[in-house]
Amino acid sequence: SGSTWVRGLLSCMRPERWLASGSLLPLSCIHTSTSLQKLGKWEKKNRIVYPPQLPGEPRRPAEIYHCRRDIKYSHEKMWYLAKLIQGMSIDQALAQLEFNDKKGAKVIKEVLLEAQELAVRNHNVEFKSNLHIAASIAGKGHYVKRIRYHGKGMFGIMKISRCHYFVKLVEGPPPPPEPPRTGFDQAKEYVQQLRSRTLVNTL
Amino acid sequence: MAVLVLVFSPLRGLLQRCWGRLERGLLPGFSESQSPPWVPALAVQAPAFLPESGRDIRESNESPSLLDSILWMAAPKKRRTIEVNRCRRRNPNKLIKVKTNIDVCPECGNLKQKHVLCGYCYAKVKAETRLIRMEIGKKEGRPFNTPTVETVILYDGEKPTKKDEGKRIIERARKRPSWFVQN
Repeated sequence: SGSTWVRGLLSCMRPERWLASGSLLPLSCIHTSTSLQKLGKWEKKNRIVYPPQLPGEPRRPAEIYHCRRDIKYSHEKMWYLAKLIQGMSIDQALAQLEFNDKKGAKVIKEVLLEAQELAVRNHNVEFKSNLHIAASIAGKGHYVKRIRYHGKGMFGIMKISRCHYFVKLVEGPPPPPEPPRTGFDQAKEYVQQLRSRTLVNTL
Repeated sequence: MAVLVLVFSPLRGLLQRCWGRLERGLLPGFSESQSPPWVPALAVQAPAFLPESGRDIRESNESPSLLDSILWMAAPKKRRTIEVNRCRRRNPNKLIKVKTNIDVCPECGNLKQKHVLCGYCYAKVKAETRLIRMEIGKKEGRPFNTPTVETVILYDGEKPTKKDEGKRIIERARKRPSWFVQN
């Protein structure tokens, strides 16, 4: 039995068998794959699988998460473009970005087109125009410090800033914008607040 | 964002030297024999205009020295908090405005601004013009060889008409584009 066990172990040591099963080899752990080093949280959001819907439930709209990392742009400047796009339909967003002169506009347009392509191909979206932007966020990327030379031998330390851009597309028309808060609403809320006060130390 | 290190070092050195001189009372205007004006040696009722005070008035009438102008420079008193910064950066007048002058080009279907030519159509015309100019260049041979007659561009299968008698003819080896109308 010992010899059979050893023979079994030796037969297991054949690397071709392990590679075929797709598991990692602890001995020869050379990462020869071309996938990204570490998937961020936003990329993993595309992987969630919901249980099948019951017959009576309303149809859950498709959600597509896409992002681009390490864009050579400042995240404060990218924030303005992300804020412009929030809540628009994808066609309107693409139109606005096409005629915007900022550097980040071109990048965001590419990201939106990629996301639209992914939606149609992988996420079972029927019409590519039937998408709206539920969330559009700009985040800070890795900064690098460099020396900037001034006159008279002075120097300054500048930071080369990068940013990430995240977008979430949801199927369906864009939600109607919230009506602005009028004075009547504020007055109503105030009266409601007054009415909901409780009297302390009384009957 | 750059942060200047030791930017005021030449001025700071000057400041330190001036203060040193003040401490030691060696600045011009206060010689050893005379006490500085902020310490009255003797309070005497005297006429307003004194020969020594005349020199002081003349000095005060001069433009403020470099020392004074440094001390009165504007500088922030407190650090601007992120809340205050956000109020300024996210003010609606700083947000990008939504453009309402975007339309669809009736020729190609791409987007265009109302007061601007369609980018796609313009690029298309530009490419064809470049090829026509290359043909013209080949016909002329060298620079500054333009004939003093009109030019007519003919595409595949087109013959020059009676109107194009004395004109220079440029041939293009392709079908006439739909947007280039023949006269």
